[in-house]
Amino acid sequence: MRIYFRELKANFKSLLIYIGITGLFVVIGFAKFSAYADNPELLEMLDSMPQALLDSFNVNAFNLTTVTGFFGVMYAFLGLIMAIAAVMWSSDIITKEERDKTVEFSLALPIKRSTLITAKAAAAFTNCILLALAAWGFNWISADSYNPSPEFYKFLTLGMVALVVLQMIFLAIGLFLGCALKKHKQAGSVAISILLGSYLASSLSGLKEEWEFLKYFSPFEYFDPALILHESRIELVYLWISAGIIVVFLAGAYLTYSKRDLYI
Amino acid sequence: MNIFLHEFKSYLKSVGIWSVAIFLIILVYFSAFNSIAAEAELLTEMMASFPEELLIAFGMTNMDFSSVLGFYGVVFLFCQVCLAIQAANYGFSLVSIEEREFTADFLLAKPVGRRKILTNKLLAAFLSLTLTNLTVWISSFVVINLVRDGRSYDAKSLVMILLTIVIFQLFFLSVGLLISLLMKRVRSVTPLSLALAFGMYVLSVFGSMLGEDKLEIISPFTHFDPNYILQNAAYDFPLPLISMGVIIIAIPVSFLLYQKRNIASAV
Repeated sequence: MRIYFRELKANFKSLLIYIGITGLFVVIGFAKFSAYADNPELLEMLDSMPQALLDSFNVNAFNLTTVTGFFGVMYAFLGLIMAIAAVMWSSDIITKEERDKTVEFSLALPIKRSTLITAKAAAAFTNCILLALAAWGFNWISADSYNPSPEFYKFLTLGMVALVVLQMIFLAIGLFLGCALKKHKQAGSVAISILLGSYLASSLSGLKEEWEFLKYFSPFEYFDPALILHESRIELVYLWISAGIIVVFLAGAYLTYSKRDLYI
Repeated sequence: MNIFLHEFKSYLKSVGIWSVAIFLIILVYFSAFNSIAAEAELLTEMMASFPEELLIAFGMTNMDFSSVLGFYGVVFLFCQVCLAIQAANYGFSLVSIEEREFTADFLLAKPVGRRKILTNKLLAAFLSLTLTNLTVWISSFVVINLVRDGRSYDAKSLVMILLTIVIFQLFFLSVGLLISLLMKRVRSVTPLSLALAFGMYVLSVFGSMLGEDKLEIISPFTHFDPNYILQNAAYDFPLPLISMGVIIIAIPVSFLLYQKRNIASAV
């Protein structure tokens, strides 16, 4: 328990910075939205478009003149910010001990290595939840002045739950890399390469039909905001894949760390 | 010279990895080009009949997947993200790595001035970035010529886009260096460089999606927007000057700060 609070305290500044970035992003986003809110010209234009045409471009998923539609567009960027935070926190929380030469001290404490990992993972997870809550709050407050429909709040909440799952995927991956990589310095950059790679995969999967399978490899594709908005659900198969990824990487982290040869 | 060589050698592996990554990005995206281009021609025709506001609202302006360079504009954006992260990484770690690994006392005890140390380090980092830059040039031309399949493209616009890389890299290198010197202690580099690079990327992409310049004018991604250069065959002056101004300020200030820096030594 002490380790948990110690880690929370040590990461508090970083949490504040990420909350600041997220808040800034949401505030700027909604400032831009004010130009589009209930813009009658734009609405008229959208109405005059033939339905089939809009569908074929997939632009119909979000109507930018409503808060809900606007949030749907911001959603992907929010996901990127929160995923980066998760992967950075979780890989750093393990590797910093070796980098700062405190690992001998931590491991000499009368606790098992697995307890150490649990406490650290719990601290990183708490931070992720706090960041998600903050993002949820920022969006709620910013959206409030536009009198959003009740549908928006449902979308916002479900969307944030989905982002927490996304964070957990990257948290597990980061934790595993921190535990498993022999060279602790590489963990951060490998974690980021994986994150970037999956972001690229998500963009590639839309390019060509034969490449559609790539979306199974990119957590960014798992939680489609359009589906969350229109049908308030998350595709079940992706939830299972997410759970699988999280379990496998967490198990890997515990296994490898219990056998880890320390770099001192 | 020793410092320069030592630094340069330590960058080689990282330069190799980044160069291969960027080459692969260009190659993989362009391997999808031919099948997309055919569909895109139809799409472009249809989009031409759309009202301008609608296209802006959905971020579909300036997109022309059917031409080689229109497609390259999208790919280049991803290259820019990679280049930004790489340059920011080098900038943040340039001097902070010595303090983190307790080699600063060793380095500063050498009979060379701090100015000379920083100059050598900067030059080595810049040379490494230039190698990556070269890779982008070569792979762009090679890949485009491999897949263009008889389609013509305007080499001048392509060169104009590629020329921006130098300033783009220097921006992230010098800003990273400056921030690292403003901080008392840099514990780890990756979160910082990511925050800088992705922050700028998100600012620019999200900003341009909705038109209307606000905060995104501080982002080099906006200054060197490949789509703008392609469309107008000119740079978006005076925006690139902001980037240059930042570089011109950041480097001398970094020198000043480094001269006066209090170096925490190993216990």
